[in-house]
Amino acid sequence: MPMVTLRYEDLKKLIGADKDVILDRMPMIGADVERIGAEHADVEFFPDRPDLFSIEGVARAMRGFLEIETGLPRYDVLESNVSITIKKSVRPIRPHLACAVVRGLSLCSDSIESLMSLQENLHWGVGRDRKKVSIGVHDLSRINPPFTYLATDPSFEFIPLDFDRPVSMRKMLEIHPKGIKFAHLLEGSKRYPLIVDSAGNVLSFPPIINCELTRVTDATRDLFIEVTGTDISVAVALNIVATALAERGGKIESVEMVSDGAVRRMPNLSPTTRALQVDEVNSLLGLDLSAEEIARNLEKMRLGATIHADKLTVEVPAYRADILHAWDLIEDVAIGYGYDRFKPEFPETATIGRTHPIEDKFALLRELMIGLGFSEVMTFTLTNEKVHFDNMKRRRVKVTRVKHPISMDHTMVRSSILPNLMEILSLNRHRELPQRIFEVGDVILDGKNEQRLAGVFIHSTASFAEIKSIAESVLRDLGTEFTIEEADDPAFLEGRRASIIVDGRSIGVLGEIHPDVILSFGLDHPIVAFELDIS
Amino acid sequence: MARRKDLTTDEKRVLLVLSKVKSTSPEKLASLAELNVETAMRAAFLLGQKGLSKIAEKSTEIYSLTPEGVLYAEKGLPERRIIDFMAGKETSLSKLREAFSAQEIDIALGWLRKKGWASIEKRKDEAIITPLGIKRDPQGEILDLLHAGRDLRRFDPDVIKALLSRNLIVAAEKTTRTISITDEGRRLVARGIEIVDEIAQLTPDLIRSGEWRKKRLRAYDVNIPVLKVFGAKKHPYRRLLDQMRKIFLEMGFEEIRGDIVQTSFWNFDALFQPQDHPAREMQDTFYLDSKGDLPGNFAQKVKAMHEHGGDIGSTGWGGKWSLELARTEVLRTHTTALTIKHLADNPDPPVKAFCIGRAYRREAIDATHLPEFVQLEGVVMDEGVSFKNLLGCLAEFYKRMGFEAVRFRPGYFPYTEPSVEPEVYVEELGWIELGGAGIFRREVTAPLGIRHPVLAWGLGVGRLAMLRLGLKDLRDLYRSDIDWLWRCPTCQW
Repeated sequence: MPMVTLRYEDLKKLIGADKDVILDRMPMIGADVERIGAEHADVEFFPDRPDLFSIEGVARAMRGFLEIETGLPRYDVLESNVSITIKKSVRPIRPHLACAVVRGLSLCSDSIESLMSLQENLHWGVGRDRKKVSIGVHDLSRINPPFTYLATDPSFEFIPLDFDRPVSMRKMLEIHPKGIKFAHLLEGSKRYPLIVDSAGNVLSFPPIINCELTRVTDATRDLFIEVTGTDISVAVALNIVATALAERGGKIESVEMVSDGAVRRMPNLSPTTRALQVDEVNSLLGLDLSAEEIARNLEKMRLGATIHADKLTVEVPAYRADILHAWDLIEDVAIGYGYDRFKPEFPETATIGRTHPIEDKFALLRELMIGLGFSEVMTFTLTNEKVHFDNMKRRRVKVTRVKHPISMDHTMVRSSILPNLMEILSLNRHRELPQRIFEVGDVILDGKNEQRLAGVFIHSTASFAEIKSIAESVLRDLGTEFTIEEADDPAFLEGRRASIIVDGRSIGVLGEIHPDVILSFGLDHPIVAFELDIS
Repeated sequence: MARRKDLTTDEKRVLLVLSKVKSTSPEKLASLAELNVETAMRAAFLLGQKGLSKIAEKSTEIYSLTPEGVLYAEKGLPERRIIDFMAGKETSLSKLREAFSAQEIDIALGWLRKKGWASIEKRKDEAIITPLGIKRDPQGEILDLLHAGRDLRRFDPDVIKALLSRNLIVAAEKTTRTISITDEGRRLVARGIEIVDEIAQLTPDLIRSGEWRKKRLRAYDVNIPVLKVFGAKKHPYRRLLDQMRKIFLEMGFEEIRGDIVQTSFWNFDALFQPQDHPAREMQDTFYLDSKGDLPGNFAQKVKAMHEHGGDIGSTGWGGKWSLELARTEVLRTHTTALTIKHLADNPDPPVKAFCIGRAYRREAIDATHLPEFVQLEGVVMDEGVSFKNLLGCLAEFYKRMGFEAVRFRPGYFPYTEPSVEPEVYVEELGWIELGGAGIFRREVTAPLGIRHPVLAWGLGVGRLAMLRLGLKDLRDLYRSDIDWLWRCPTCQW
């Protein structure tokens, strides 16, 4: 989750409350305070609230929550004379663009750092690591509008950020740290996206890197912001950045966007509206709030609210990305009301508890096995072919394999429990003997769960007769009619292995484990074992 | 001062023997006292406690052969066998290769040089080994001695070190004990010791014949430590899971379980997770090659919900929703795949259900992360249930788990709204986050025909297990040390 650094000095200035009060209440708006330092705190916010990914956004929300300034924040947007044309050539690669100008800023190194970290957090939280959205911020005084967004040949050269000489765009993907990191986003493209000004100066090569020319410094007063991407979420990302800068005292100005002859202006900061029923709020939360109380809680959350008898019209600011449905507003009412003020009440819903028959069977089998002196173990159902088949001398067959294993130990889901028990014996080879262990649980066959019971017994005189009497004891207790036949499971010794037959079908195997199998698990004592299908 | 009548027959016997010898070994003592070694030594220890005997302990290193050591003791060390094979003549490496394995030659060449038994030089393309004569072979001598079962009285520590590094011998500590009598013991013997017949073990014969009445039953020291025995038990983690299962059953919940392999539809799409959500990417989820069938009645409604928000006034996620992606099978990443299916199959209120089962995430394994873990989940669906009731379920559940203090903070989970993070107070740790909860979004319930709010909460039980079982490493739950299973007390909460 995105981590935001909150400097106390800044926090106090932007909110106008004591830092201890702020930090004490902050978790109640939906945040994890990770670290409280001497100068600053590190706080994590949830991925659905990208508007809280900067100290400015947090301050805006906390001013509402602490009732210092409530209701919908309003931002004036003047028209700038900056325009940008989106060329057809870029549409197949990265079609969406949103731009704004913010003037009159006085940035210091801390606020530049805060802006950079907001950008990075948005790249992560909204941008899917720049794939969906990437943001570029430029010193407007270094470039000359109008601008053009186009696609160009990878051989085109300019000086990227942190470089002192021109490099071709193709080369940048190989040698620039950002190029290496994000090259995959342009895989398969014959031409690369580029934003240039009227004099041919490059602003940026989205979604990879800006030009060195437009670097933002503490001398920068006016900013040009461009957000490119693959869908309309570019607009909300732009709104979040622009309004955060406005919280710092910047004046937002709109940019004329020209595409295929159509002209429109961005950013559009007008709120969206949603209707909310008083009844629905109270019934979902289990409260009895009046329309006025609901409105007050919404305003604490920086939403606009107008009351019309038993319903409200709610204005949602243009920087909120998380309001999809009325219930999202109801959660805001609950947060505004305060989670700590709810009186928990167990629901009156009258129902009768019921166990699952498979779990009941598991419990019974555990009782039987423990009575027979076997200790229960629990093992991973994830395993690998070597342990599951090769070590067991069993032929590899089709099983549920995972597509991209994260380690060679876990490449498939087990279809038998016995190999897991052999592994446990192997881990315990230095422990006292005899050892008797069992597991009852799920295996997967043909993509479906089946249930198995398996037990193993290791000691210097382990014998076929011993495990046969144990398996038979379990079967008797289960009331199963069975017969015993010679088996051919290669994990067991020939002549000392048997199948358990029920209704003409083999439901399990028992016998003396083959010495090759014993050795392959790094063991050297006789082992007897059984496994039963109990589905 | 020990009194005569405090001594058992065994102790008396041992003391009498000790009074006649200066000092002795346990074996010697046992044979003179006509007892087995264990009994004689127990008596000697008890006499020691009473100040009547002394036991001196001395430990020495003893060495024994490893299987490889035995082999070389029988066949000869590889370098020795090669020297013998060469019979004093220059021999080429390829000649040696005909008679010895590559591994043996590897071992031998190094040692031939180190021991100064032969020189090796390259002539043209051939390595030639020239024997230089052998004076002694201390390594071989020690192997022979050990193989013959003889003690090593005098040896060169460097040779022992070499043999240890060659993994041909292993060292073990051996403690030898010497028992002698004290002055006080001598005084007691001087005053005279009488041995009367005592019974240690009551037998059926003694009981039936009434003979036991005529004999003296020896009184035992009830404080003597005895052998520890451990019964077979449930896995300690199982005990914890059973406790939680019991809580749900007592609260009137129905237990559900289901397949590990699920379609992305039930695992993600039905829960309104957008198809481009990072959690669905292959670096977090175990995808399978297989595809499953979709429930036809629900698939179109879920598609409409994702694409434009269906008919409940939601915006949806926009974009195109792919049926093929939804059919891709995964190892379930949470048990919610099962609870949502259960609710879709049982849309009429009331439903109170719980599930305790394995979930799978593509995570590198370490002390606090497992690719496979147990998740617990509970849902309540009924007309008119509310967020306040959800908090009520959480408070009751955690209280029954033994956490009296619970508090609630806003949370975020992709398929619930409102969402809440419960925290419980743990002595010495403070407030800790334990699980997550919320009311299923309408975008989740509406396409499945569920008309009433669904309160849901869940937690990964691993963290709780670490707290309760005092584990530092989650892997220990699934790679059990049998000794831990035996010793772990069942009543620790």
